[in-house]
Amino acid sequence: MHNNAFFHFLSLLLFKQKNKHIGAIFISVIIIFLLSSVLFISSSLQKSLQSMLKNQPDFTISRLQAGRAVDTPTEWIEKIVQIDGVSAVTPRVYGRYFFAPNENSFLIVGVDFFDEQSNHSLQELMETTDLKSFFAMPSMLVGEGVQKFMTAHYYKDEFSFKLPNGSFKKVAIAQQLPSSTNLIANDMIVMPLELAKEIFAMEEESITDIALNVPNDAEWDTIVGKLHLLFYDAQVIDKREISKAYKSLYNYKGGLFLILYLITIITFMLILYQRYSMVYSAEKKEIGILRAIGWSIQDILKLKFYETLVIVISSFILGVVLAYIFVFIFDAPLLQEIFLGGENLANSVVFVPTIEFGILGSLFLFFALPFFASVLIPVWKIAVTPPKEAML
Amino acid sequence: MSEVLLSQEVIVYLLSESLLFGLLFVAFIITPLLIKRWNFDAFTQEQFRLENRSYLVMSIVFFVMALKILLLPYFVYTIDQLSDIVPGAMCGAGIIKANGYGNPLLLLKIIILFLSGFWMTLNRLDLEAKAYPYTKRKLWFFLFIFMLLSIEFALDILYFTHIQTTNPVTCCSVIFGQMGGSNALGLDMPMLLLLFYLLFVLIVLMLWSKNSLGIIVTSLLFLFVAYYSVVYFFGTYIYELPTHKCPFCMLQQEYYFIGYLVWGLLLVGVFMSLDYAISRWLWKRDALRLRNFALWALSLFVLLCSLFVVVYYSKNGVLL
Amino acid sequence: MIEIENINKIFNENSSEPFEALKDITLHIAKNEAIILSGVSGSGKSTLLSLIASLDKPSSGKIVVDGELISKLPDLHASAYRAKSIGFIFQHFNLLEALSVEENIIAPLIPSRLDMPTIKKHAQESMQKAGIAHKASQTIRELSGGEKQRCAIARALVTDPKLIICDEPTANLDKANSLKFIEILSTLKALGKTIIVATHDPIFDTLPFKSRVIKMEDGRIVDE
Repeated sequence: MHNNAFFHFLSLLLFKQKNKHIGAIFISVIIIFLLSSVLFISSSLQKSLQSMLKNQPDFTISRLQAGRAVDTPTEWIEKIVQIDGVSAVTPRVYGRYFFAPNENSFLIVGVDFFDEQSNHSLQELMETTDLKSFFAMPSMLVGEGVQKFMTAHYYKDEFSFKLPNGSFKKVAIAQQLPSSTNLIANDMIVMPLELAKEIFAMEEESITDIALNVPNDAEWDTIVGKLHLLFYDAQVIDKREISKAYKSLYNYKGGLFLILYLITIITFMLILYQRYSMVYSAEKKEIGILRAIGWSIQDILKLKFYETLVIVISSFILGVVLAYIFVFIFDAPLLQEIFLGGENLANSVVFVPTIEFGILGSLFLFFALPFFASVLIPVWKIAVTPPKEAML
Repeated sequence: MSEVLLSQEVIVYLLSESLLFGLLFVAFIITPLLIKRWNFDAFTQEQFRLENRSYLVMSIVFFVMALKILLLPYFVYTIDQLSDIVPGAMCGAGIIKANGYGNPLLLLKIIILFLSGFWMTLNRLDLEAKAYPYTKRKLWFFLFIFMLLSIEFALDILYFTHIQTTNPVTCCSVIFGQMGGSNALGLDMPMLLLLFYLLFVLIVLMLWSKNSLGIIVTSLLFLFVAYYSVVYFFGTYIYELPTHKCPFCMLQQEYYFIGYLVWGLLLVGVFMSLDYAISRWLWKRDALRLRNFALWALSLFVLLCSLFVVVYYSKNGVLL
Repeated sequence: MIEIENINKIFNENSSEPFEALKDITLHIAKNEAIILSGVSGSGKSTLLSLIASLDKPSSGKIVVDGELISKLPDLHASAYRAKSIGFIFQHFNLLEALSVEENIIAPLIPSRLDMPTIKKHAQESMQKAGIAHKASQTIRELSGGEKQRCAIARALVTDPKLIICDEPTANLDKANSLKFIEILSTLKALGKTIIVATHDPIFDTLPFKSRVIKMEDGRIVDE
């Protein structure tokens, strides 16, 4: 097709006039790079969260009093076990332990190590732990952030918890939770139920909440209904809501960035408009010549359009590739902290490479459209250069 | 801020629509003067400037239309993504029905695309002639389309700002009914299919005999009937479930995005036959390539739909 | 072949100082004729040339080339006319400085529906005719005045136009190159092309081929 003659000519022009376009390409690549890094991180985190969520229990039920979550009575467990379709009913005890008032805290999760765990990753972990030595003395499993914190405070193999009554309880650090759980378990400590209760000075017959699984998806809504019937003061949280909450969380943070980029893009557009209008005077002669030798306005528009397309596509590809390397090979050094919010304990995560074409498509649209929109009028102005200009 | 508005796809979509509308607005501003002062026979500097301005309107419409073609599937994709955060929705169908603006918006989008396509054809004819015979008509037509575009833009904003993530919406199985036999048209399945294939044959005949009015009428009828046929019959063979009737689910990944091909072929085919008919009728131009494209697209569409049934039957030995 | 009737061209018509570049020009040019438009600068020669080449439109009157009214063509047709029928050689060559000789020559053919190999073939032929084939891959910046001229000629010939228009072609050439240019012109005349040259170079007073001199002054034709 005759288009290949067009492209041939276009590539000639582009190569021989590289410098004209360097500025636009440079800014474009930076914008794409930042944008796609944010999007890569966001979607990678989402994916990790979602896959980790799979291992979490389907439901948790706790007691509410005056709208606040309070300790749940253990007698609820017997009633729940009797509901058809429910499995792996596990009592849980958890809460925040503050190292010192207003300082860093750990999330202590107490579980019954001999019961079937509704949390599959915990189940796997326990199968690999040497339970005998684990129970020889009070022991716990700690998350990576906790381990680092403790080592930094010279607690190598064990830690002394300060109990509410003023005494101390020494607990050995048996193992570290796998790093793959860092997203949610970074500041977590997993220990036997009774030990957790001791540390928080909870009542004998109380637990924080009850976790359970309902293998059959279709029954979820019915089970929720039954649970509410059984306990009028219960709060039932199901995994779907958490999933939606996670999605919204990263949407929010991602969305925040996008709003920032909106501002950037507007500035970008103004710059482009300016730049392409400026070149207008230098290019006038060249385009006048082309028009004089028989190029129509449409031909010039076509040329300029393809020229812009080449710039857009190449900056896009370059920016995305750089972002990919930055996020998935170097784990996005600075950007990571913004996303993970290391307010409590410093967290570090390895990003799992995820490429969703929807994300890339959105990104391309977000970048290409403003680019084209801002150069459309300057390009038109150039294209309608009267061929007479060539005579001057 | 509403989670919907903060979802990345919605931001990108609304931003794109705003930018395009901005450009269109520029075209809109320069059009009235163009219409008023256009006089091809004049040799004045002004007329030459007007010719150039006309090219600006053309470029803008061309660019915007090309992008709107891309934005339509992107809109569908955005809605599909929203089904993850709006309770009760499993695919776009529920989201579209989340408020009263969804369906009119989608319908308007398709109408605008068709009209823009006709505009592009008219524009091409205007340029190819020696004296710009259609310029004024073309510009008035643009003003009309711009009016529709403004409504579309307003609907865009209204629609997205009125999707609640707190109220559950109905899923496609409820919207499109779970009954096996009947459908909204009140026809039973065999009749509907008969109508479907009959209309297809009619269109082919009309196209072959170049009967403009006939093409227009049969194409529009076919569009209507085909929509129902796909949703209530052929779709069930894509999902391999007799009760799953939904125009949106087939656009999702789990069905290999086949929906885009199905709806794409239908819309493109109908558009081309309409464009061909209008060109013949109004502008007295016989664009054979257009007609052939239309024939191909529509035939492929019918073939594809029938294929779903045939494949299912050959795999399972029974029909749904 | 070319009928020019009552052409007027006024610049800056809406300002306070409109300038009448051409006043009521009527002229007929036959096929394969060679026309020399002579006159001082400002006499309207270049303006008339640009009107014939459809680079500009007249304020009134009409120009018909081979039966086609070119004074009032929409852009798409005007540029097609320029591409197919006109080979224009500008006073200052108007070559694309960043590109090579061959690349400049293929430029007029790019919007046509030809594929690259055919285009390159045409370019090659053109370069042979103009005598610049040996410099095909050199950038314009590196060429001498005479070589640039020949490149401009090759470009003008590449679409095999029926009308060759030259605006002060020898203004930037030395005597030797000017004579070479006239040689090329005679070849072109022999090939059946119609030639119009606007010049005030006396070297055009004695030409090796038949030509008609039209003298212009102050926007009017004063002598034929």
